Amino acid sequence: MPSDSEPALVLDGIVAGYGGGDVLRGVSFEVPQGEITCVVGPNGAGKSTVMKVISGLLRPRQGSVTLAGKKLNGRSARQILKAGVVQVPQQHSLFKDMTVAENLDLGAYTVRDRAAVRQRTDRVYEMFPQVKEWAGQKAGALSGGQQRLAEFARALMLEPELILLDEPSMGLSPIVLKSVFDAVKRMNADGATILLVEQNARAGLKLAHRGVVLENGTVRLAGTGREVLEHPEIGELYLGGAAKTA
Amino acid sequence: MASQIYQAVVDGILVGGVYALMAVGLTLIFGVLDIINIAQGVLVILGAYLSYSLSTRAHIDLFTGLLITIPVMFIIGVVIHWAFIRRLRGSERTSMTLLVTYAAALIIEGVLYMLYGADNVQLKASYTTSSVHLLGFYLPWIYVYGFILAVVLVLAVYLLLYRSRFGRTIRATMQDETAARLVGIDVNRVSALTFGIGVAVTAVGGMMYGATNAFNANSGYDLISRLLAIIILGGLGSIGGALAASVFMITLESVVTIWEPTWAIAVFYAALVLVLVIRPQGFFGRKEVRAQ
Repeated sequence: MPSDSEPALVLDGIVAGYGGGDVLRGVSFEVPQGEITCVVGPNGAGKSTVMKVISGLLRPRQGSVTLAGKKLNGRSARQILKAGVVQVPQQHSLFKDMTVAENLDLGAYTVRDRAAVRQRTDRVYEMFPQVKEWAGQKAGALSGGQQRLAEFARALMLEPELILLDEPSMGLSPIVLKSVFDAVKRMNADGATILLVEQNARAGLKLAHRGVVLENGTVRLAGTGREVLEHPEIGELYLGGAAKTA
Repeated sequence: MASQIYQAVVDGILVGGVYALMAVGLTLIFGVLDIINIAQGVLVILGAYLSYSLSTRAHIDLFTGLLITIPVMFIIGVVIHWAFIRRLRGSERTSMTLLVTYAAALIIEGVLYMLYGADNVQLKASYTTSSVHLLGFYLPWIYVYGFILAVVLVLAVYLLLYRSRFGRTIRATMQDETAARLVGIDVNRVSALTFGIGVAVTAVGGMMYGATNAFNANSGYDLISRLLAIIILGGLGSIGGALAASVFMITLESVVTIWEPTWAIAVFYAALVLVLVIRPQGFFGRKEVRAQ
C-alpha cells in the first residue's frame, strides 16, 4: 500500500547515542500522515533510541526531527509533548497507585481547559468502553493487556499529532496481543498517525502501512509493510523466513 | 503509679505532636523525592532561630511569626534544592543526596554559630510556661497548641497530596518519574516545590521545638536520628504515619522514663527494630509505592 500522504514526521540523518558511542548512525525515514509505520530490527539496532530521540528524552548529536514542518530536535520532552507527540513507553507507565480515571486526567496534564479535558475523556471512553469500566479501579490492579489499553487511552487525551508506541506487545499473551493491536488499528482508523516499534516484527508489519528495518543504527530497508514482510533477505534475517503472501 | 503513667501517656501524645511537626517535612521529602535530607534537623533549628529573632527583635508573637517564617523556609528549601540537589542524577542519586544535604547542614550550622553564638536559647511567650488543668492532668498550653497545629498541618499536607491537582503531579513523580515526564509534568519544578514545602513545614516544627526545648546551632544532630527513626517507623512518605509514629515513639519513651530514664532512648530504637521485623514497611508504608 504505497502512501501518497504528506509525512507527519521526518527524521533526517539522525546520529544519537549514550556516553561515547553512537547507537543511531544517520537514520532517515518518514512517517506518513494518518498511517501506521512500524520500525523493526534485531536487538540493539536502535529502535527504542529512535523513540527517545523523537520524544525528546535523548538529544540527537546530528540530524533533524521535523513534525509537520516544525523542527523538534533541541526542544525539551515537555515542549515536544505540547507540539503533539505522545509516547507510550515499553515498560508499563501508568501511575499504579492512582485510579484509571486519574491517570487519564494526567494524560491531559498540559491542557488547561477543564471543559476540553472532560470532552476528551468522554471521547476516549467512547473509543475504549472497557477503559471506562475500569475508571474507578487502581491502575496497578489491571492486567498487563488492560494496562496497555489504558495507556493508549491516556495517550489519546492529548489528541496527539503522532503517537509513539514502543513495543506495545511486550510481555503479552497472543490473545491479549490481538486486542492490543486491534486497539492500535482503532486509534489509526480514528485518524491517529502512529509510529510503532515492534520486536514481534511479523505482527507489527502486518498491522502497519509502512515498515522500516533498522540494522546497526542505520535504515536497512523502508517500504510498505508488505514489501518489508515479503523481502526475502529481511525475512530470512529477522522474520524467521520470508512471509508467504496471504 | 497509675496517675504517673496516665500523665506520661498524655505528655507523650502532646510531645509526639511536636515531633510530628518536624517529621512531616522529612517524610514528604524522603518518600516523594527519594532524598535523605540530613539537613532537616538543622533546618528545624534554623526555623527555631527565625522565630527567635522575630520574637526578640521585632516582638512578633511566635504563632503570628509563622506567617513570615513558613514562606522564608520555603524559599530556603527551593534554594537548597537548586544549589545542591537539582543536578544529581542516576542510580547513586539517593546516597549522594545524603552527602550534599550534610554539606548544606554544615553550612547552615556554621552561619547559625556566626550569627547567634554557641549559647543555648529558648523561645518564650506567656503560653510557653503556663498550663491548663484538664481531666486531672496538667497540660502545658504550648504542647496543646502544638498538638492541634500538628493535626492541622498533617491534614493540610494530606489534602495537598491527595486532593489537589499539584498533589497529583507530586504523586505521579513519586511513582514513576519517566512516565511523569512523558505526560508533560515538569519533574524538576515539582521536585523543587515539594522540597520547598518539606522545608517550609519545618518552620512550624522549629518554632514548637524552640518553645519547648533550649537549643543552639548544634541541636539539629540530636534531632535528625530520631526524626529518621520516626519516618521509617511511620512508613516512608506516609504523612499520617509520621504523626502516628511520633506519638507512639515519644509516648513509649515517656512511659519508660518513669522507671528508668537512662533506658528511654534505647527503648525508642529497640521499638523501631521490633516493629520493622514484624512490619518492614512501617505502620502505614506500602511495599511497592515508590518507583525504584
